[in-house]
Amino acid sequence: MQNTATPTVHITLDGKPLEVPAGISVAAAVLGHAHAEHTCKHPVDGSARAPYCLMGVCFECLMEINGEPNVQSCLVTVQEGMTVRRQLSGESA
Amino acid sequence: MDRNTDLIVIGAGPAGLSAACAARACGLEVTLIDEQAAPGGQLFRNIETPMAQAILDPKDRETGLALVNRFRSCGATYYPCATVWGLEPHKVSCTINGKAESFSASYIVIAPGGMERPVPFPGWTLPGVMGAGGADILLRSGGTLSAERGTPVVLAGNGPLLILLACHLLNAGVNIAAWLDTGTWGRRLQSGALMPAGILDAAYLGKGLGMACRILKNRVPIIRGVTGIRAEGTDHVEKVLYEAGGKTHEIATRTLLRHEGIIPRTHILNSLGARHAWDTVQRYWYPVTDEFGHTSVDSVYIAGDGTYVHGGDASLLKGTLAGIEIARRLGVISNDEAHYRCAPALRALRRTRIARGFLRYAFAPNPAIFDLPDDTLVCRCECVTAGDIRKAVAEGFLDVNEVKRVTRCGMGQCQGRMCGPALAELTAAAQAKSPAAVGTLQVRQPFRPVTLENYCDLNIPK
Repeated sequence: MQNTATPTVHITLDGKPLEVPAGISVAAAVLGHAHAEHTCKHPVDGSARAPYCLMGVCFECLMEINGEPNVQSCLVTVQEGMTVRRQLSGESA
Repeated sequence: MDRNTDLIVIGAGPAGLSAACAARACGLEVTLIDEQAAPGGQLFRNIETPMAQAILDPKDRETGLALVNRFRSCGATYYPCATVWGLEPHKVSCTINGKAESFSASYIVIAPGGMERPVPFPGWTLPGVMGAGGADILLRSGGTLSAERGTPVVLAGNGPLLILLACHLLNAGVNIAAWLDTGTWGRRLQSGALMPAGILDAAYLGKGLGMACRILKNRVPIIRGVTGIRAEGTDHVEKVLYEAGGKTHEIATRTLLRHEGIIPRTHILNSLGARHAWDTVQRYWYPVTDEFGHTSVDSVYIAGDGTYVHGGDASLLKGTLAGIEIARRLGVISNDEAHYRCAPALRALRRTRIARGFLRYAFAPNPAIFDLPDDTLVCRCECVTAGDIRKAVAEGFLDVNEVKRVTRCGMGQCQGRMCGPALAELTAAAQAKSPAAVGTLQVRQPFRPVTLENYCDLNIPK
């Protein structure tokens, strides 16, 4: 699927390296390329959740990006060297 | 930083881009602010990348690229990756690269677009359940829906966009295990009376029929009259259950995509107290405007599907009209000149509205989709169930804002974007009323999360 002409960037997801196309959102990289089963444990009921809308509406894609928690990862573009962590502890920041 | 211009456009979708281009062509100074990293909005998302171009059909690709190129060279000041969290007449507050910024202008055009109608159902919070539009974004980002290609996907819902999305899935080689149709035949028969007008827009009709034929040719199993959809699994969807023909059926799947039509995004205008009207067939609120998108708040215009969902090509026309009308009101072009410039877009827009009148009925949401079991989570953020809402109504809380305050439904981080429509439907149904009679959620600014630092930068005098 990946076009050879598409430039890529390197990020880390929970400490593991990942190469994804440049220009896509962090949520799309984690869900569509890394195929993470879920992206957070819900702070209220502790259930596993994953992005629903991918366009800034649902707030289910909150992740820690470059150390900043609760970022809407569907609205952030992947950058070379970016550090992404899923919020799996269920603690609200 | 405070910059003053003639016009601020919010949103870089078809409507926002064409509004900016039209206003620039009249000689206005234009600033466009958008939350995405590249222009295109949802319809033409990532249009400048080969990944997105691969799954769009050639005509959409051409229209989208032409628009984006026209915008890039029109001379508007463009701020991508901006989160707009505050708006009042003549003033926009936002965060760009972590810094609070404010912009001021004589006029503001909001082009928020539409969003998929969020419809709760049991198990909709399970990973693997997504909006069909969300899945489309994954494909356009060069991604796949699951680690192994060819894993079957279940589509559920109703709406013209679902046909387009199904074609995109087929383009990407996705195996569609079933299409669970939730539409109502009563409404579809009603649409028949308006169908002949569709000929006014033969190209559009032809495109729709062509896509429907492709889906049939690919032998996607379509199951009609589906109710009671629910997803089950531990920490991920494993199977989908539904009722059809009086029986319960089950399909094993790791991906369920739900789509129940597109509704206008009204959050920003609601926070300004702009006047809205209720569409009894499409069951959504839309702002009351004139043909140029002028809202009930002076100096604030709206363009695109945010005014009423007519689709992408209508959005281009609406944007053009708003841009020209604002130039006229500023006195930059004369009334005659504005009339001359607007005429083709006005004609085309009127024709499109008539030609697509039947879609309103053909893809009307079935009110029964909100007939949810008591234990269904409605508010994903605060974990409020349908039963909690019904209990509040039984206790005498009759307006959605009252129900919100006692249940916390709509008080989470999404600020009621995902639960608002269902909250209104459930509150109304429990009183045997129309959702139009139970109020709309009061949206307060900031309408996006903002750090205290950014907020204070713009709101506390130094």
